[in-house]
Amino acid sequence: MQVEATIESNRFPPGDLAIWVFILAELAAFAAFFGAYAFTRMKNVELFNHYQSTLDSDAALINTFALITSSYFVVRAVASIREDDSRGCVRWLMAALTMGALFLVVKGHEYVHHIEAGIRLSTNTFYMFYLSLTFFHFMHVIMGMVILAAVAVKASKGGYNDREHTGVETGASYWHMVDLVWLILFPLVYIMR
Amino acid sequence: MTGRTTFGIRACTWVWLIMMGLTLTTYLIGQFSLGGLGVSLTVLAFALIKGQMVGDYFMGLKRIRGFWRWPVSLWLFLPGGLIGVAFTLVG
Repeated sequence: MQVEATIESNRFPPGDLAIWVFILAELAAFAAFFGAYAFTRMKNVELFNHYQSTLDSDAALINTFALITSSYFVVRAVASIREDDSRGCVRWLMAALTMGALFLVVKGHEYVHHIEAGIRLSTNTFYMFYLSLTFFHFMHVIMGMVILAAVAVKASKGGYNDREHTGVETGASYWHMVDLVWLILFPLVYIMR
Repeated sequence: MTGRTTFGIRACTWVWLIMMGLTLTTYLIGQFSLGGLGVSLTVLAFALIKGQMVGDYFMGLKRIRGFWRWPVSLWLFLPGGLIGVAFTLVG
């Protein structure tokens, strides 16, 4: 009986199945965006290469480190709650939120710099893609942080334990999706030429 | 996956370290202004490897059997393929 239950549980990803349908829809939208960027670049290679070199790759490195590390912290949060360690779960989630906040600060600083330089969506095709792609992702980071914060609050009140922690896994899955998208966005927009 | 250790380090920590290393390598390629098809495809491959690691080890899909094992892998193949083709056509 327990073996059957284990096999059944291994047929579905961690967390609420509804979040996975949402994640797939989000990933499809980003895939279309990435494809559009790559094929538009084909007709404007020199323009894309030139303006790509004006971006702050140091900031992008910090942000990539921040998101990968936040995802790692979220993995540790899930592991903690599976061991019935609510306090550990909350600590790891707070650490992940701190990394998320670092991402927002660094990316926000980049946006301020662009705005001060007079860069807008209409400046050129490269910046249209760069600003819209990164801002679309930026909004997903904020959404992910709101979800993780809600999970942390519930965990701090003892709302999860080693038997029932679907909410933690659901929030974690969404956050990993945010990280996953950035892992493609970073080299595509900042590095590949 | 967090429970197993190698040299006293959790598996998820190894995954994190590998992803950080690949990210730093990608950044350094950018710093040295390396370009061209081979370099671009290498950088893309690093990104796809990291994406697969997130799906397998962070999202926990490596343990899943059936349909839900594959969406992230297929998703990586889709933009990865589109980007790879677009850069290859430009040369």
